Amino acid sequence: MNEIKITINGRELIGLEAQTILEIAQNNNIEIPTLCHDKRIEIYGACGICAVEAEGSPKLLRACAVHASDGMVIRTDTERVLQNRKTVLELLLSDHEGDCLPPCTLACPAETDCQGYAALVAKGEYGKAAELVMEKIPLPASIGRVCPHPCETACRRQLVEEPVSLASLKRFIGDYNIGRTAPCAPQIEQESGKHIAIIGGGPGGLSAAYYLRLKGHTVTIYEAESRMGGMLRYGIPEYRLPDSILQKEIDIIQNTGIIFRNNVRIGQDTSLEELRQNHDAVIVAAGAWSDSKLRCPGEELDGVTGGIKFLYEAATGKIKPETFKGLKIAVVGGGNTAMDVCRTAVRLGAEKVYNIYRRTRNEMPAEEIEITEAEEEGVIFKNLTNPIEISAGKAPADRPLTIRLQIMELGEPDSSGRRAPVPVSGKEETIEVDMVISAIGQKLNPKGFEELSMTKWGTLIADGQTFQTNFSNVFAIGDATNDGADIAVSAIGEARKAAEAVNKFLYGQDVNPSPKRLVKTEKTAEDFNDREKLPRHKTPCRNPNERRKDSLEINSSFTAGQAEKEASRCLACGCLDFYDCKLIKYANQFDANPVKYGVSAHNRSDVKNKETLPNITQTPEKCILCGLCVRLCEEEVGEGVLGFVGRGFGTVVMPAGISDVCRDCGKCAEICPTGALMKAYQ
Amino acid sequence: MKTSPKITVGKGSCGIAAGASEIFEILSNTIANHAPDVFTPSVSAVGCIGMCYLEPIVNVDDKTFIKVDQKGAGEILKLIKGEENHAENYEIRREDLEILSAQTRVALQNCGIINPEDIREYIEKDGYTAARKCVLEMSPEDIIAEIKTSGLSGRGGAGFPTWFKWQAARNASAGNSVSPERKAKKYIICNADEGDPGAFMDRAILEGDPHAMLEGMLIAARAIGSDEGIIYVRAEYPLAIIRLEKAIVQAREKNFLGENIFGSDFNFNLRIKAGAGAFVCGEETALIASLEGQRGMPRLKPPFPAQEGYRKMPSNINNVETYANVPWIIRNGGSKFAAMGTENSKGTKVFALTGKIKKGGLAEVPMGKTINDVVFGVGGGIQGDRKLKAVQMGGPSGGCIPAELGNTQIDYRTLAQTGAIMGSGGMVVMDDTTCMVDMARFFLDFTCKESCGKCVHCRIGTRRMSEILERICGGEGRDGDIELLEELAENIKQGSLCALGQTAPNPVLTTLRYFRNEYEDHITGRKCTALQCKALLSYNIEPKACVGCTLCAKKCPAGAITGAVKVPHKIIHDKCVKCGECVNVCKFNAVAIN
Repeated sequence: MNEIKITINGRELIGLEAQTILEIAQNNNIEIPTLCHDKRIEIYGACGICAVEAEGSPKLLRACAVHASDGMVIRTDTERVLQNRKTVLELLLSDHEGDCLPPCTLACPAETDCQGYAALVAKGEYGKAAELVMEKIPLPASIGRVCPHPCETACRRQLVEEPVSLASLKRFIGDYNIGRTAPCAPQIEQESGKHIAIIGGGPGGLSAAYYLRLKGHTVTIYEAESRMGGMLRYGIPEYRLPDSILQKEIDIIQNTGIIFRNNVRIGQDTSLEELRQNHDAVIVAAGAWSDSKLRCPGEELDGVTGGIKFLYEAATGKIKPETFKGLKIAVVGGGNTAMDVCRTAVRLGAEKVYNIYRRTRNEMPAEEIEITEAEEEGVIFKNLTNPIEISAGKAPADRPLTIRLQIMELGEPDSSGRRAPVPVSGKEETIEVDMVISAIGQKLNPKGFEELSMTKWGTLIADGQTFQTNFSNVFAIGDATNDGADIAVSAIGEARKAAEAVNKFLYGQDVNPSPKRLVKTEKTAEDFNDREKLPRHKTPCRNPNERRKDSLEINSSFTAGQAEKEASRCLACGCLDFYDCKLIKYANQFDANPVKYGVSAHNRSDVKNKETLPNITQTPEKCILCGLCVRLCEEEVGEGVLGFVGRGFGTVVMPAGISDVCRDCGKCAEICPTGALMKAYQ
Repeated sequence: MKTSPKITVGKGSCGIAAGASEIFEILSNTIANHAPDVFTPSVSAVGCIGMCYLEPIVNVDDKTFIKVDQKGAGEILKLIKGEENHAENYEIRREDLEILSAQTRVALQNCGIINPEDIREYIEKDGYTAARKCVLEMSPEDIIAEIKTSGLSGRGGAGFPTWFKWQAARNASAGNSVSPERKAKKYIICNADEGDPGAFMDRAILEGDPHAMLEGMLIAARAIGSDEGIIYVRAEYPLAIIRLEKAIVQAREKNFLGENIFGSDFNFNLRIKAGAGAFVCGEETALIASLEGQRGMPRLKPPFPAQEGYRKMPSNINNVETYANVPWIIRNGGSKFAAMGTENSKGTKVFALTGKIKKGGLAEVPMGKTINDVVFGVGGGIQGDRKLKAVQMGGPSGGCIPAELGNTQIDYRTLAQTGAIMGSGGMVVMDDTTCMVDMARFFLDFTCKESCGKCVHCRIGTRRMSEILERICGGEGRDGDIELLEELAENIKQGSLCALGQTAPNPVLTTLRYFRNEYEDHITGRKCTALQCKALLSYNIEPKACVGCTLCAKKCPAGAITGAVKVPHKIIHDKCVKCGECVNVCKFNAVAIN
């Protein structure tokens, strides 16, 4: 065959006369996307995404179909070519229904692949599950215990009965990981010679350090306290997260080669400026360690303290067990910290613990389970009350303290959407207590961070995408930034994203993340009405009368059997082909907007009601009509089991009434560029 | 003694639809029962003469009677018998005859004149003399040269030079890609899958003069060296199929088809394949796929059908009108054909005039006439003497040409400059009551439904365009919709594999080019100035004009009109379904639409 010379994107290439433009490009590592072409079968030219520009041709040419000729000058990178690719993808996506990612992953601030780890647990592959979770959360045993699990709130299993116990599964995986002789030890890239300082050894700082270390960087964590763990260690009580569990996970992180420098406080032992000078980049993950003020007369009194401070003192043993024996304690606030304070006070032997909250139980920001468990442990809830004055009798040290409580009622919804508490005029109540602990919010201690720009609420300003501060080499994440304190997994999610930004920064690349294009679909209970109802497994909780007396963990992990059963409840409602899907890969590569033309997919219900292929899962609403399966089955396999039915926009692919001749070779599923045909999930 | 008059009844599909069969029965039965010894007039059925708006048409010798009903048939019988009659009431008016005199008939020369079911009438008109000449006297190269001289180009839409196709098919080696079990051969295919809404010139030829087309195919077969022809005709043309079948049988009896034609060693056989009505099967590669029993989907070219066509063998495909021109060209010489028309477009072209035109029907004119010549000269102008707004040329693949460009010459190149195309010759005439957005929506909806579904651009792109037009006409147009339409249109033109997709955006692009303000009115002004898009209309009763007759309130199907006797009525807009019934029934013109 004759050799020919063609030019693609300015490169002179040698090809053969009978070769297509696509073949020559592929042989020379020039990428031309294609969705409907395969070497094994005849040229078809349907998708049009491979179209390229040829000098002298007014039209775009389909690279998969046009045979190259000597002297041809091709460009695959012009605006016209890229626009065509984008249009093809945007049109295909407008007729493609599915969920690239399941709602659990989308809801998780760390984007954990819950569906993935559930599947691995269901198969008994705990080690692989641990590796998968660690890609997003390096502290699964700890987070599995403390996370308020937005994943479960989003879980579609609720459309059948109850959400999958994803947090407990994560805890199970984490426990498995720390319990085995060789826990997950990820591959660390070649040493980069770059040095990064992390300020703060909490979940955010530890995670950022971990993901940067994996990239081969030298990472030092500067921590003010004597031990790492941050709020996980000093804010979350032992009964929820045992110190030993946390320590084992921190050890795993440290073993990747991260340098821990404890007892170093910024603005005291070193300065941000110094760290900036001595490192290639700095991530500030300092947390929010100052209690918000109660703003009522008497809060300066000796027996009035803050929740964060109280929990810290309890965790470090400054407050000894049984200190509160016979005492009455009032805890102000309705969040998770307030619940932790209440329940810690119970465990310190308090006779009575009051929770003072100005709205009703329905509006409490704390997790429902936390409230219920606190109630079971004897906490007295005084909802719709608000402290207006704390007084101590004649001398400041006189006890009891008297709290004047304003009785409240719910008025119109406020900006948060919750009904605002309004004082009922003239209605008050007083209670007498020995101590008042206010847990109504927490803030960054700004000392040492004066160089950084702050919001009017006193948090550090960090870019929402890149986490950069006013210094390009200083990044900030977690409770110390922007909207302030949030759940631990949020800080972990930010940590991984910030680590990516820092990594790009270190190599002089654009620190902005590339936009993520995803396909999403609404589902209703009807979509899952074929599923058998299966009860949700919960981790067993100890009897309240027993557990309130000690600091031992209140509930235990799943057994392997429970975990596997629970994991198998996962509906796997996220696309199982996401990581192999060419459509979404190209959509991201060419920045195609999936909803540019709206999404009104054509009706494919006929396919579902007809016969199915053996061992193949058909999801017709994902079909992009590339025809690869139809043609491969006919031309390569020689059977013609699949066929096109209908015309135009309404065309569907389905077994042409002869699925019994299917050889079960699975080639249709292998060649399908999307998740429309997949080998049945074993 | 009187000579027997020759009586013909137009029995094309248009005539039959207007009642010609009944008239034919009356005339032929009565005449058959009449004392045959006095005189023996013959009644024969002919095809469509092209004056579809005057059907049923009866000719008695050189007299033409129009819109003939039962009573008219009686008068005509009286006339034939020499009795006193009022047949003159049915006689064609002089100005209507202009529709014929303004034309130059080549492809349609025998349509409406000869009986298509009697080969002798075609032979009387020098039929098959061209074929005889080609088989016995001319070499294939001579034939192709003659066609080249004529400048004939494909009349189906693309306007590709006919001689070039023939030459390519002639030069293609028949042994190229032949499987061992099949004999190497070439095919002649006739594309009679006329699918454009508002186009019916091919049907008229098939029904009115099928032999002209058969003879053209025969000549083409001789030119490229083929011995087998296939006519792909849409099943929606049953009368055409019947007449074609009869014509083939008769031609075979006369040995114009079959073995050793005209005593030579030239063999040619023909068969008919009925297509199931997919518009896309008019695209030649889809047509071939359909002939082969495959799904009617176009494929990429090259290879062109002339290289690799039906059964992967060299095939020449032309449409009906193209073939029908061929015998005339051979008989009269290519240069006589080329003498008509413009520099780049030779000969004549048949147009199907529809829409708001006074004299709807078929018109064959030399290339180079202007749109106004056809609309006002041949077509007699706009119904109700309203204003011409635009002409949609070339069906759903074509574009609209606004009235101000009425002096545009009809040839391939000039039309293309306007954004429209010649296409197969459909001409939909629109007056000021036509909403151009709605018109574009109609055609887009058509192509969207007719898309085969193979290419992404066409399958989904036309659908999305159609949805956008739908919402603009539905009063829900959004800012940016025009730009979105333009962007999609360009991308669909670029990215589609076959002409259906590549041309589908044309109606939108041309209406945007010439009537952009109407789109803007719909979207930003929420009004349809042509008063066609219901969602944008509001009906109101003018209190001064309303006398309170209550008729509209009684007739309103939605109960949306309130009022009492002798009190001006009112329309409740929330209830109004915009059916227009109040406008229709009001005797005082009191209902205004705005």
